[in-house]
Amino acid sequence: MNILARIRRIPFWSWIWFILGALYFLLPLYATVNFSLRMERDVIGFKAYVRAFEDPDFLKTFMYSNMLALMTILASIILIVPTAYWIRLRLPEARRVVEFITLLPFVVPAIILVFGLIRIYSSPIKIPFTDTTLLQPLTTFEIGTDILIVAGYVVLGLPYMYRSVDTGMRTVDVRTLTEAAQSLGASWFTIIVKVILPNIRAALLSGALLTFAIVVGEVTLASFLGVPAFGPYLFLLGQHRAYEPAALSFASFLLTWLAMGLIQLFTGGQGQASGAH
Amino acid sequence: MTHLSLKNVSKHFGDFTAVNDFNLDVNKGEFVSFLGPSGCGKTTTLRMIAGFEIPSTGQITINGADITNKAPSQRNVGMVFQSYALFPNMTVAQNIGFGLRIRKEKEADVVDRVKEMLAIINLEKKADSYPYQLSGGQMQRVALGRALAIRPEVLLLDEPLSALDAKIRIALRAEIRGIQQKLGITAIYVTHDQEEALSLSDRIVVMREGEMDQVGTPFQIYNFPTTVFVANFVGTLNNASAEVVDPAKSIIAIDGIQFESAVDLKERKKGDKVRVAIRPERFNFVSQEKKANIVDCRIENITFLGSIVRIQVMIGNSKFYMDTFNNPFLELPKIGDKDQVTCSREAVLVLDE
Ligand SMILES: Nc1ncnc2c1ncn2[C@@H]1O[C@H](COP(=O)(O)OP(=O)(O)OP(=O)(O)O)[C@@H](O)[C@H]1O
Ligand SMILES: [Mg+2]
Repeated sequence: MNILARIRRIPFWSWIWFILGALYFLLPLYATVNFSLRMERDVIGFKAYVRAFEDPDFLKTFMYSNMLALMTILASIILIVPTAYWIRLRLPEARRVVEFITLLPFVVPAIILVFGLIRIYSSPIKIPFTDTTLLQPLTTFEIGTDILIVAGYVVLGLPYMYRSVDTGMRTVDVRTLTEAAQSLGASWFTIIVKVILPNIRAALLSGALLTFAIVVGEVTLASFLGVPAFGPYLFLLGQHRAYEPAALSFASFLLTWLAMGLIQLFTGGQGQASGAH
Repeated sequence: MTHLSLKNVSKHFGDFTAVNDFNLDVNKGEFVSFLGPSGCGKTTTLRMIAGFEIPSTGQITINGADITNKAPSQRNVGMVFQSYALFPNMTVAQNIGFGLRIRKEKEADVVDRVKEMLAIINLEKKADSYPYQLSGGQMQRVALGRALAIRPEVLLLDEPLSALDAKIRIALRAEIRGIQQKLGITAIYVTHDQEEALSLSDRIVVMREGEMDQVGTPFQIYNFPTTVFVANFVGTLNNASAEVVDPAKSIIAIDGIQFESAVDLKERKKGDKVRVAIRPERFNFVSQEKKANIVDCRIENITFLGSIVRIQVMIGNSKFYMDTFNNPFLELPKIGDKDQVTCSREAVLVLDE
């Protein structure tokens, strides 16, 4: 009754815009699903899905991208958590500069990032001002390229990860918590592991899932650095096949939704543990 | 016996002096309050004792050992914050046990000590609750238990009650004092609430703009303020400029109306400008009680404050408040009435202009 009454109170035009928006979003999705189910003539079935998942390259590239995503998430946590923590604690005046830096990936296109990376790291790494070579060009061997691409992904994920972590730290007042822990005798390591990390885990998770979503679908960096990642695979598949890419697109949609659901679940759980006073 | 000692402690932030030449010896088991208006350097001083700020000059010792430059985690000083600062991811019991587990005490000892603290703060039933499930007063009690669990040398409290509402503030105030006395722990308590400082402390340090203005027992601070600032900040105070009339007999005059004081004025000369301060509750109507100073006045205003009635009178051209207990059987004067008031010689404080 109550809900019905409330729905009725929403103005007519709001409904129109809402429905239009929903259609704009849902129609293509519906078309994709519908199309992906019609690989066999006159039969609705999952053949396209079976085909797509059966392709050994699918599994290989997908696992590889997952590995990249994991590395990226780890690297960005190690880079960003201490940075954001230190800024909150000791260098509040540095916040603006760091926020600006973290927003750069929105301004500088990935294509420019990847060309920069290739230009700099396709020559051997030397000790400055000498001819002693430290390392072969990173682009010439597999692990080197992996390092490069993970570094690139850390940059691309920076806006999401930094913002999540920083917001997480704001909501728990890390500064006072740190001082409380210090006065109880805790070392820096203990403070970060036992006090800070557990209290920003929801923020870390949402940052991690967003990073994951970016890395798994990324095409530009992966194809220009020539790694066997999922993004370029999907792109290639799209050029040669019709039904399988549709199936995979929908599958990745589901994956994203699952991720969002997980965020909701964990942040909901953490909202309880942190609680507002 | 001196337990905590601050010697010539100053703190500068850039060219701003937050605390200037602070000197204080605190005895073991003593409860000392830092009282003063916002920005006077109370928190900064407390944070230097805790180790969150390093003094620009001076020395801080506990039991004679210099701790001026020690890390906060090495000082064994308990701290209670205005915002409670409980760890949201831990239960009440885990919060209280945190410091002990960091000290790697035996788990059985930790459990015992946590139980003991829970009994002291009267929250045994909430051991497994999370902070978000507690009220503000309960959270602050947990914070107190957590700070005390490590058996700190000194307990520091920075406006621990100011986020709570009035009723709980008064109840918890008494509880804090009770626990402090029971454990015999040395405590420093920061507040800008004079009533809190007066009711809790063994001694009060009144601070102004980074300086110590007066140090004394609540009794001394309230009854014998040595500066106009202290007199004004602690309690309500009438003060008016006056002139010394007879230094030998300690007689001064406000707008020509003479008052006799108990303060020795032999150091001053006839005609010196001074400030006279009289607490509102020291005035009485002449009809009720006969005292030394009897002066004419006119009733300006009457405010009902519950147990007390505050009457504003004009003595000469100066405004004075007087407080009388609310007595429903006594007739109050009317606004505009002429009357006479009196106060004892001891009530007339003479301060520098
Ligand atoms: N880190 C800092 N950098 C610069 N100035 C500071 C710093 N900390 C404190 N101050 C200044 O020192 C002065 C004293 O601050 P403090 O926090 O000790 O005041 P307080 O007496 O505790 O006041 P309140 O009752 O408002 O808490 C203030 O003017 C404040 O602006
Ligand atoms: Mg303060």
